[in-house]
Amino acid sequence: MNVLVQTLGFGIVSASIIAVGAMGFTIQFGLTNVLNLSYGATMTVAAFVAYLTEQAGINIWLGMVLGGVAGAVLTIFLGKTVFKLYARRGTRLFEMVMVTLGLGLVIEYSVDIVARDKIYSVSFPQGASFHLGAATLTASQLALVGVGIVIFLALEALLRLTRLGKALRAMAVDPGLARSCGIPTNRIVNATWLISGFLCGVAGVIYVINSLSVDYSTGLLFLPVVLAAAILGGVGSPRGALLASLLLGVVTELVAAAGFSSYSSVAAFGVLVVVLLSKPSGVLNAAARKVELTV
Amino acid sequence: MGHFSFYLSTIVVYFGIDLMAAWALNLQYGYAGVINFAFIVFQAAGAYVAGTVVLGPDTGTNSYQHYILGANLPFPVPLLAAALAGAVLSAVIGLFAVRRIRRDYQAAVMLIVSLILLQVVTSDIHLFNGANGITGIPHPLYTALGFSLSSYQWVYALWVLALCAVLYVIVERLGRSSWGRSLRAIRDQEDAAASLGLNGTLLRLEVFVIGGAIAGLSGGLLVEFIGAWSPGAWGYAETFVIFTALLVGGVGNNRGMLLGTLIVPILVLELPTFLPTIGYPGLIGAIQWIIIGLAWMLFLLLRPRGILPERRFRAPRPLADDTVRSAAARWVARVLTLGRPDMAPRGPRLGAAAGRAPVPDDVPVAGDPAVATARVRQAPSGADEG
Amino acid sequence: MSSHRYLRRRTGGTILAASLATVFALTGAAGAAPGGSSRPALAKGSGSAINEAIIIAYTGPVSFEGGAADSGVYPAVHVIDAAGGVMGHKMNIITEDDRGDPADAVPIADKLIATSSNLVGVDGPGTASSPTVVPIINAAHITDMTIGGNARFDHAHYKYMWRLVPPDPANGEAMALYAKSKHYTKVAAVFGATTGSQGDLPGVLNGLKKINATLVAQVTLTPDQASYRAEAEKIIAAHPQVIMTESDGTTAATFFSELEQLGGLVPIIGTTATDISTWLDAVRKGIGATTFKKDYTAVIDGTPQTTAATASYTDGLKAVESKVPSPWTQWVTNPYSGAQFDGIITQALAMTDAHSTTPKVYNTKIEAVTEPGKGKAVVHTYAQGVKALKQGKKIQYVGVTGLIRFDKYHNSFGNEAAVTVDTSDNPVVVQTITEQQIQKLG
Repeated sequence: MNVLVQTLGFGIVSASIIAVGAMGFTIQFGLTNVLNLSYGATMTVAAFVAYLTEQAGINIWLGMVLGGVAGAVLTIFLGKTVFKLYARRGTRLFEMVMVTLGLGLVIEYSVDIVARDKIYSVSFPQGASFHLGAATLTASQLALVGVGIVIFLALEALLRLTRLGKALRAMAVDPGLARSCGIPTNRIVNATWLISGFLCGVAGVIYVINSLSVDYSTGLLFLPVVLAAAILGGVGSPRGALLASLLLGVVTELVAAAGFSSYSSVAAFGVLVVVLLSKPSGVLNAAARKVELTV
Repeated sequence: MGHFSFYLSTIVVYFGIDLMAAWALNLQYGYAGVINFAFIVFQAAGAYVAGTVVLGPDTGTNSYQHYILGANLPFPVPLLAAALAGAVLSAVIGLFAVRRIRRDYQAAVMLIVSLILLQVVTSDIHLFNGANGITGIPHPLYTALGFSLSSYQWVYALWVLALCAVLYVIVERLGRSSWGRSLRAIRDQEDAAASLGLNGTLLRLEVFVIGGAIAGLSGGLLVEFIGAWSPGAWGYAETFVIFTALLVGGVGNNRGMLLGTLIVPILVLELPTFLPTIGYPGLIGAIQWIIIGLAWMLFLLLRPRGILPERRFRAPRPLADDTVRSAAARWVARVLTLGRPDMAPRGPRLGAAAGRAPVPDDVPVAGDPAVATARVRQAPSGADEG
Repeated sequence: MSSHRYLRRRTGGTILAASLATVFALTGAAGAAPGGSSRPALAKGSGSAINEAIIIAYTGPVSFEGGAADSGVYPAVHVIDAAGGVMGHKMNIITEDDRGDPADAVPIADKLIATSSNLVGVDGPGTASSPTVVPIINAAHITDMTIGGNARFDHAHYKYMWRLVPPDPANGEAMALYAKSKHYTKVAAVFGATTGSQGDLPGVLNGLKKINATLVAQVTLTPDQASYRAEAEKIIAAHPQVIMTESDGTTAATFFSELEQLGGLVPIIGTTATDISTWLDAVRKGIGATTFKKDYTAVIDGTPQTTAATASYTDGLKAVESKVPSPWTQWVTNPYSGAQFDGIITQALAMTDAHSTTPKVYNTKIEAVTEPGKGKAVVHTYAQGVKALKQGKKIQYVGVTGLIRFDKYHNSFGNEAAVTVDTSDNPVVVQTITEQQIQKLG
């Protein structure tokens, strides 16, 4: 029983690491329809920004904000230049995913050149340990869970309570209709790039705080689980992404706790596969709907 | 010169194997639009199986490598086993991956599959000896043939090229068969094709499995040549190399694959090893990947159909000079397609009976994928799934 | 129509022909150019330059191999040239990146052999690519000093291959012997799932069995996971007295910091591969310098000892500082670079002894310059060796890694040492485990 409680505790920590990235990915994908595989490369850039701020002696929580800003700036830049260019040329959705993959390679290996192909260690005090029932978590782990919750609540509030959020949701459902209703689509798209880019950057920093090192491939290694959570949770839904992250986090830790650590991530992706097989409605509906790039 | 000839034979073998891989990927992506970002996994499956079925049973006495499927199968059974391994794995993964889902989802799922399987094989040392991989795989028939190693390398190169020639005939014929046309139909207009009674998921599964078998075969040929296989050889990024050859050479064009394979794995990746070292070690490698990334972006922007775009398939010609050669090739294709009439190439007489006249190649016709694409591009929101 | 068809056919044929012709032309043109990644420098000595090649992973998951190789070979070539070269021939270094990929490595090795004139010796490859590369170099009859730890080469006959690092299992067995001396009976094994990281594991398992210790937990760490908390819990639940470990630094830092947070950190015994700056630095940051100093020991190949060989190596390293990953001081005590330094010196001494730079000739003299023997002059540097040979003496080279003795499969086991590290990552020997002890255990 104690093992189960501890595993749940770990699962929640893992989930909060995945969730921020997944929430950013899901709103970006939900609105723009770009399945952006360069998202991982953007996380890497933000992770390096955090590393540099740590080296400069700046507080890591401030580093997290700076990493987020870096992610937002890079994302809107790519959105307004690269993605827009391709959308104008009539690039189709499945071609766009390949464009983003190529873009990801270009960014990653540019970072690799700047970083001279090295791995950089980050030292980060974990703080005191807290005992919550049978689970033991450190202050920094609790802080990461806190960050996850705060970001989720803020995102929900934004989507439900503000005019921007309403416009966002309207556009995600039907961009054409939203446009004809007088919603300034361009501004909404910009807001989406900025918000999702910020979350992407923060996610990169969170990953580094947990794994304590960064190199050019950091983001790419982290991307699959973020993607899985976003797809599993239903595209465009931060709530779904959070729940999916929880599911993935707990499943991963449970399987590892049961002694099959080689298969822990497999089990998590097994969940994704089962969902695709048994209840593909979310995915299928998207396919049946007329979907276009909105960038 | 002896050493140089040795090197050259290696390059020819690699060229042939990459070419096979590119054709397999072209079947899947070029013909049917399946974005298989896990392609290298199927090549690896073939390599592992072809390797372990000649290593002998794993009795556990050998402390340095453990593996499954150990056996002592004679040439050429290991190659068939490799193709079978690729096909079986494709069938399993295809069951969820080639359903009618958005193709960008499909790409993402495939990428995840590639990373996960690599991780499983690396971490679970009981499958194929984990990270250290399997080693000591003998060259097939090396002692039986009695050649020197350098002569053997050329024999092997010719063997690979001969298989390439057979494979070319098969993939071309498959492409021109009614089955091939059905693939293009579901690729370009799945709704319309479905209304004509075509089962898109089944067709995609079929092409996925055939492509997987070819990938497995290419992996088997590679491992029998190099003698070892480990996770280092099939990182997810290896798929992108072959995909780049496809995008550059020409999507849907088997001859374009020839050009693409020459340009990407040989010119872009092999030639720079002759350059003097610049900067820190690894800089050239990083630049190569940036070039590959830029190639994807530029080709998708400026020439999304590659240097040699897909040829509109021609109507059959009722010609008298139907040679023994092509008859034999058709027979091979028929055997390999297990007698499925829709996969067999259409015979001249069949076409003649249908009363279709040859059409010059450069005149666009309805049903031409190029036309379909053009239509989609004019009204993207009207596309079935982008 | 038939002419149209003919044209089409020919187009296809032309493309194929053109493709093949281009492959031939490109490789041919390149073959005519001076081979290798670095152009041979103009010979300055009395003889023409001879080429020594490094073929190893400079990129990819095991790219650390490249830095260690450069840090062994460049200093060796420097001290050889400083002592007048090999019979007047200056030595030039060619580097090839095999990417740690056994498949990619094949054409790279073939190209190296094909395009390098005057190639007298090879250093490398590492564990990942050695199964495919060693046979190629052996078939070309070129003397090869490999550092691949694969147990595959423990009992394989490759006439031109020599291995100066003990096979990985020997390192693992030495770890067990060290544990026995510290009276540890409950041991946990934590090994990363990458090539190289699992090489020691069979030795550890075998060694623990032989010393009657209990393996209370065995965990495989899949690299680059965000967390290893479940694995850490498993270790804690098993209550080991000590953890034997090898993995990459990134993975180790995450794992051990989590283990520490959970209050389960016990003494750690690392391997030769954890005794490198990147690993030490990452884990030290992960668990804190004080805890690290208290809990970390490594069992490494060779016995770091200060002889004339060390001084010669240090001088060489300093002289080629710009060519090795900084800080250069980290390599002084790195057993891999030390072994590769010894490998090149051994080759050069064998050439001098054989009066030939031709591998087919001097390869038979390798053991003649390393094997202990009565009346042999023990030398620690290249200059000493050349001088003794000129005086007509027989020599035994004892290098940076100590005694070199090849068995009939050309493996030199050598002694091992348990070390701790000081603040600048230099090893401090706490115990020596001899070759005989390890062999006896086996």
